[in-house]
Amino acid sequence: MPSRGSSQAFDTSTTTLPTLRRGSQLHETERRLNAVLNNASVAIFLMDDRQHCVYMNRSAELLTGFSLSEVLERDCPLHDIVHHTYPDGRPFPLAECAIDRAFPENNQERGEEVFVHKDGHFYPVGFTASPIRDDAAKIIGTIIEVRDITEEKAAAERQRLLTNELNHRVKNTLATVQSIAAQTFRGKSDQAARQMFDARMVALSNTHNVLTSQNWESASLRSVVEGALAPHALAEVDTARFDLVGPDTRLHPKVAVTLAMALHELMTNAAKYGALSVPDGRVSVHWFLIRIEEGERLDLTWTESGGPAVEEPSRRGFGSRLIERQLPMEFDGSAVLTFPPSGVVCRLEIPLTTLGWHGQAVVQGWGT
Amino acid sequence: MVDLEGRRVLLVEDESLVAMLGEDMLLELGCEVEVAMRLDKALALSRTIDIDLAILDVNLGETCSYPIADLLFERCIPFIFATGYGTAGIEPAYSAVPVMQKPYQIGQMATMLRHLLTCETLTRGSDDGGKPVACTCAVGRGKIEPMPFRAD
Repeated sequence: MPSRGSSQAFDTSTTTLPTLRRGSQLHETERRLNAVLNNASVAIFLMDDRQHCVYMNRSAELLTGFSLSEVLERDCPLHDIVHHTYPDGRPFPLAECAIDRAFPENNQERGEEVFVHKDGHFYPVGFTASPIRDDAAKIIGTIIEVRDITEEKAAAERQRLLTNELNHRVKNTLATVQSIAAQTFRGKSDQAARQMFDARMVALSNTHNVLTSQNWESASLRSVVEGALAPHALAEVDTARFDLVGPDTRLHPKVAVTLAMALHELMTNAAKYGALSVPDGRVSVHWFLIRIEEGERLDLTWTESGGPAVEEPSRRGFGSRLIERQLPMEFDGSAVLTFPPSGVVCRLEIPLTTLGWHGQAVVQGWGT
Repeated sequence: MVDLEGRRVLLVEDESLVAMLGEDMLLELGCEVEVAMRLDKALALSRTIDIDLAILDVNLGETCSYPIADLLFERCIPFIFATGYGTAGIEPAYSAVPVMQKPYQIGQMATMLRHLLTCETLTRGSDDGGKPVACTCAVGRGKIEPMPFRAD
């Protein structure tokens, strides 16, 4: 970014429009325009119909390293001064240039390019180009605003690296916990408990896969449901036995993780004792998004059918506790788990907008 | 050793599975547990219910548990923070509150809760202008360093 100190390097008298007679109203207007242009932090270039730069403000001089008089002296398209080489070193002919190839058709056409500084270094810029028309609406030139976006690019890159690191760490941590459990309980606990633990770790890990693909901002509801059922769907259970119906939406990461764990527990129970423990049993997961005062609520119903006659379990385990107690408390929702003889039914109501997280509107905007 | 049996503890923890673990540990220590996983619920509980102690997870998703801490200060209910970030993650105004490192460990939890019960240095009244003051003696001296400005 141009520093304040370097502005001293230029003779600022070069960056003014031709001076009009003192005392006239035009002179006053011009004085004000120069004040506006030379105090603007964005670089502004005025191009004629030959793509030559006929005016640039002080920010433009700082950005490019060239003074206006130097640019005028060169008497060539601005492209050949600030945009002549691709970052890989190949020459960048004017004909290939998105900014200069043609006059912009519309006002404020935007884009990103990489410019070359007078000292030879490359810098990324964001530009906005608008046509200048004469009285007959004929395009006679272009006004181009240019911003150095080096910092933004660097911030985006840091963000990408951090997200990659986060993905890597989370997966590795889960794998590490799994390994520690395996080592710690080797030969000390029953195999069934170990298998259950591993399956839960896998369910958690699968949910994180969904979050990873969305940069940890949200997870698609459908992916969460499918992800939770996937390990079972792969193993001997025909996918045709699942009936998943409902609109997709974006879930907050916390909702995604807890919902996925809840579905995993329902799934495990169905495979062991419920509809999926026999060849003809089926599971339907139907959901709706209901408009409520503070936004949206997910109403999801899990229904098993065709399995062995169900009896109310004598004791509530981890799954019941997670679904009936923790999930409603975490999201201010409700959960009802019932055991009619025809098959387990679980109804969840999860308000999706009461968490008040940052960027929620943006994230949910994607889903609409 | 002070017994934790029968003490009523408010546990504020926003992650379902972690809350389960914390609750189980407290139950194992013989405590009666009230769990809150959301700031609004936790605030309502800390205003009204009769509790002896509290454990506050500092980071509640998009919010922090400091408003709960303020309420507990007002009611002179001793509490500890729980965090995975260490003392550096606590706002300076609350630096006097003991911090329990996550992940939860039952031994550490018991030690810190017992400490809250034995160390009755909560300032009552408003002669300090309402500034939060907690039990300021370091837990298990030597293990947890006192705050620098109290090093005298």
